[in-house]
Amino acid sequence: MLVRRSVQITWFVILWMLIFHYETLRANYLTPLAGRPLPKLALLFPPAGWIMFFQVDRAYGFAEVQGVRANGEPVRLDPHAIFETPAVGYDNIHRNVLVAVLSKGYAPSFCRFLKRKFPEYERFTVLYGVYPDVVAAPDQTRYAVAYRCEPEPRGP
Amino acid sequence: MKRANQLVLWWHHAFLEKRPSVSMGLFRLAAAFTVGCHMIPSFFHMQDNYLPTAFKTKNFFFFPMPILELVEHSPAWVIWSFMWLFLGSLAAFAAGLYSQISCILLMLSCYYFYALNNLHIGTLSFDILLVTMFLLCLTASHGDFLSLDSLRRGKDGLHKRRPYAIQRLLQLQLAWTFWYTALSKVTAGGNWITGNPYLALMNYPPMGVVRDFPLKAWLAQQSGLCYAIGLSVLTMETLIPLLWFIPRTRPAGIAIGIVFQLLLWATLHVPTIFLFLFPPMMLLFIRPEAIVRWFEARQAAQAQRGRAVLLYDGQCGFCVASVKRLRAMDLFGWVDPLDFRAQPDLTALHPALTPERCRSEMILIEPDGKIWGGFQAFQRLSRRLPLLAGAAPLMHLPGAGSVGDRVYRWVAAHRMLLHRTPACSANQCGLPPSSNSWS
Repeated sequence: MLVRRSVQITWFVILWMLIFHYETLRANYLTPLAGRPLPKLALLFPPAGWIMFFQVDRAYGFAEVQGVRANGEPVRLDPHAIFETPAVGYDNIHRNVLVAVLSKGYAPSFCRFLKRKFPEYERFTVLYGVYPDVVAAPDQTRYAVAYRCEPEPRGP
Repeated sequence: MKRANQLVLWWHHAFLEKRPSVSMGLFRLAAAFTVGCHMIPSFFHMQDNYLPTAFKTKNFFFFPMPILELVEHSPAWVIWSFMWLFLGSLAAFAAGLYSQISCILLMLSCYYFYALNNLHIGTLSFDILLVTMFLLCLTASHGDFLSLDSLRRGKDGLHKRRPYAIQRLLQLQLAWTFWYTALSKVTAGGNWITGNPYLALMNYPPMGVVRDFPLKAWLAQQSGLCYAIGLSVLTMETLIPLLWFIPRTRPAGIAIGIVFQLLLWATLHVPTIFLFLFPPMMLLFIRPEAIVRWFEARQAAQAQRGRAVLLYDGQCGFCVASVKRLRAMDLFGWVDPLDFRAQPDLTALHPALTPERCRSEMILIEPDGKIWGGFQAFQRLSRRLPLLAGAAPLMHLPGAGSVGDRVYRWVAAHRMLLHRTPACSANQCGLPPSSNSWS
């Protein structure tokens, strides 16, 4: 019984270690080595290993949302008012969580979300902003429109 | 051959040997706290986060499409049910009630909400937390100590021994995470040698990930110093785990590691999973035998100072079972339970004691000679026994004394009916003499 349990634990430990290191090294080391994308184990481990702050550039991208009133006046919406969910001991908005909305694939659902949350605005503009170099030119920012949320056409 | 034997012995010591599971019991509390802190705030805004009105993002790398599609179409009642499942399993896991099952249910509900909406809870640190929770799902060892499971079993769990594999894998997970984090900073596109990431971070705009700490503006001008700090971060991430594995440097390694996490949290808006989970994972490097010895030393010191005495009715199965649980709560050996029927002279314990009084209520005699009975004895115990500490504020609420006293009197009067012996159909039943000894 004891031997059987030890064998089971040994197999699990070996298997776990292999998976752990494979998943850690897969995206950035093994895939370039193999020259093709290697399969990822679903439901466990991050997609690209433990890459916390591994690459920090001087460029800084962010998202901005403007609400546009009926008179055409644009107002920058406070990101904390868009995503009000607090986090214990840190701020998700500072983690740049708003950039997730820039993806065009999410545009329809984000527009619906904005219209529900901010009914006082007629339309919205989602902007992609970038500081090209936070060290050399900290005051310089560029903006581009990612997409617009237009009011739904009224019925006849 | 000798080498092979040594290897087998080393492997046995590293993973297979049965060692006290006390550390896992303590780690369970940290893991529950971390999961709760990360997930619960997202439930305060169900409309924004999970219900059909929410804005949701998906983690396509983590979840297979069929799972995402299945979860996406959850009706509201399913979402609410999973929220209650999460809260229930979290409470059960934190309390150590059916610890392994509650851990699995907790993990399941975490997965559900992760698949439903990745936006607020999905971070790299959450992936680390899930890997940790996965390992905890594989064992019941975290329910051995400081848990309702230990009370159910009537044992304090301090000396319970389990195979060390999961605790060792948690240690390795933390060390590897540190090392691979450092490695990715210098290879695979990482720019901590070729660039000056720390300088860039210090110059991030006010809405960026860096907190507004006092030296930030000054550091933003110090390019060389920032580069040196970047290198020291790399060095720390590489060296700290080494210190954990060497017994002599372990305390220093743990202390430095905790300070490192505190600095990370104090300067950056990183998820507090790092702060709440990593330091307890570092404490898993402390030998569990040392923790057991620490508790034993406290118990011995208490014995020298003098223990309180708890007198109970040894012929009442309910009382015997309750005292057994009470003993499991008494981690520092503060109280010594005695069957009053086995005492030849009750007045030798305290002059105010009579057999009638002992029959009518549980009696607590504190080391300084103060005597308490019934619900008041419970109130005093709740101040002294660590596992009753959570109930202490409730027991001392205004009016709790009179309500508690009434409840206690009713239970005391019917205690013979409350034990599980099926033969007891009347309030007359006693235990056979051999069952009176519970130790």
